Amino acid sequence: MMWLLAQEQAPVPTLGIFTTGSVIDFACVLVLGVIIWVMVARARTGRKIPDIKKIAGLEAVDEAIGRATEMGRPVAFIPGIQSVDNPQTLAAFGMVSHIARQCARYDTRFLALNCDPLPYAVIEEITRQAYLEEGRPDAFNPDDIRFLSAEQFAFVGAVIGIFERERPAANIMFGSFYAESMILAETGSFQGMIQIGGTANTHQLPFFVAACDYALIGEEMFAASAYLSKEPVMYGTVVGQDWLKIIIGLVIVVGAILATVSPDSTFLKDIIGGY
Amino acid sequence: MRKEGPMILTVISSLVVVFSTYFFLGQKWNLMAPLNNWFQISYSIAMALGFINLTAIHGKYIQRKREGWFYSIILLVSMYAYLVLGMIQTHNGLQFNWIYENAYSPLSSSMFALVAFFITSAAYRVFRIRTKEATILLVCAVFVMLGRAPIGDAMWGGWSGFVNKWVMGTMNVAGMRGINLGIYVGAFATALRIMLGLERAHIGGSGTQ
Repeated sequence: MMWLLAQEQAPVPTLGIFTTGSVIDFACVLVLGVIIWVMVARARTGRKIPDIKKIAGLEAVDEAIGRATEMGRPVAFIPGIQSVDNPQTLAAFGMVSHIARQCARYDTRFLALNCDPLPYAVIEEITRQAYLEEGRPDAFNPDDIRFLSAEQFAFVGAVIGIFERERPAANIMFGSFYAESMILAETGSFQGMIQIGGTANTHQLPFFVAACDYALIGEEMFAASAYLSKEPVMYGTVVGQDWLKIIIGLVIVVGAILATVSPDSTFLKDIIGGY
Repeated sequence: MRKEGPMILTVISSLVVVFSTYFFLGQKWNLMAPLNNWFQISYSIAMALGFINLTAIHGKYIQRKREGWFYSIILLVSMYAYLVLGMIQTHNGLQFNWIYENAYSPLSSSMFALVAFFITSAAYRVFRIRTKEATILLVCAVFVMLGRAPIGDAMWGGWSGFVNKWVMGTMNVAGMRGINLGIYVGAFATALRIMLGLERAHIGGSGTQ
């Protein structure tokens, strides 16, 4: 009879439709979605949306491209080493679009060095489209959009070699990086490149701050495409992000006060537990 | 349809993922399984594109006898030989694994070891007393390094370990959690922008709508 008792209970949906423990998460998703949608609607109807504060690293992107144009040397871009399922790589695509347009406009060579084949395929298409929309399809060179290796340190070795041979004047690293970030940033520094590094991997941020001229920390990366596009609709999504951070901050403060005043109370846990 | 097609696919896929994550029926029907399979297939096709790109570029280098063209021959020969060996033996093959463990792994470890030297050169540049903030950074770094090495305890008893733990466990954690909060919200907003079709950079659009 013991094997019958040991049989697993079938999972039971919470509130009839949700998976266990996902109601609060889904509520947060809905709240952010509503906030962002409200801000986007305000922007579309022409109402004033707050500006994003100046982010030095993003302001420097055009400066870096200008420097490369004046020196007649390429701009190198590295979108991290992760695939398209990483949000940092998705954020990098917005940056690629802007940089490719600028390079097409100023006839500057644009080198995109990829560690993963999927971002390589996407970036090639983004770049081709950017050159087409700038009226310079002839200037697009598919050989400058390269897949080097899917292995981390093989990729690093290839990038170092390209830095030595092609001598880019600007190096923009934007995406998910791990141990290779230090090697890439220091090599760029030795070569005298202007470097802009952005990652949301907090364990690599100190290396970018130490070795790059400008560092984009965490959420500044995710605001990049809105910041560079300067479109009110995109600004609206960033404002929505900030509102959610304010709400989360208030919840943290309230929680800290409650935990201090009544540490043994399980009032809130009893209400939301299991959801 | 060239841009609308990928956009529609993006939105539908995103909704399937949301439905599978939060809703009971989505998990019961296991809607993520075919998506994961399609991702693997797409990855394999993209890898083939990557191979073509590498072959085309290095083929041109060899054809034009560009400086260092011999290394391009080595790259292409080793790439295709290892590919064929893997296809014959699979990832459990004796020779396949021997090459990985005795050629690639030591090379990778050597590159990783270079990080220590690069950190040293970067630290030398950063830890110079130019501003108030740089001075504070230097002092904290000295305490953390001493706290993690036996010499700290030898000099100051348990104080260096205490300071190290306070700096790393309190100040550092507080800062990192604040940064992480912004990161999670930012990543979520980015995903939502793509799901709602507000951001189109990934399908070759002008970046926004």
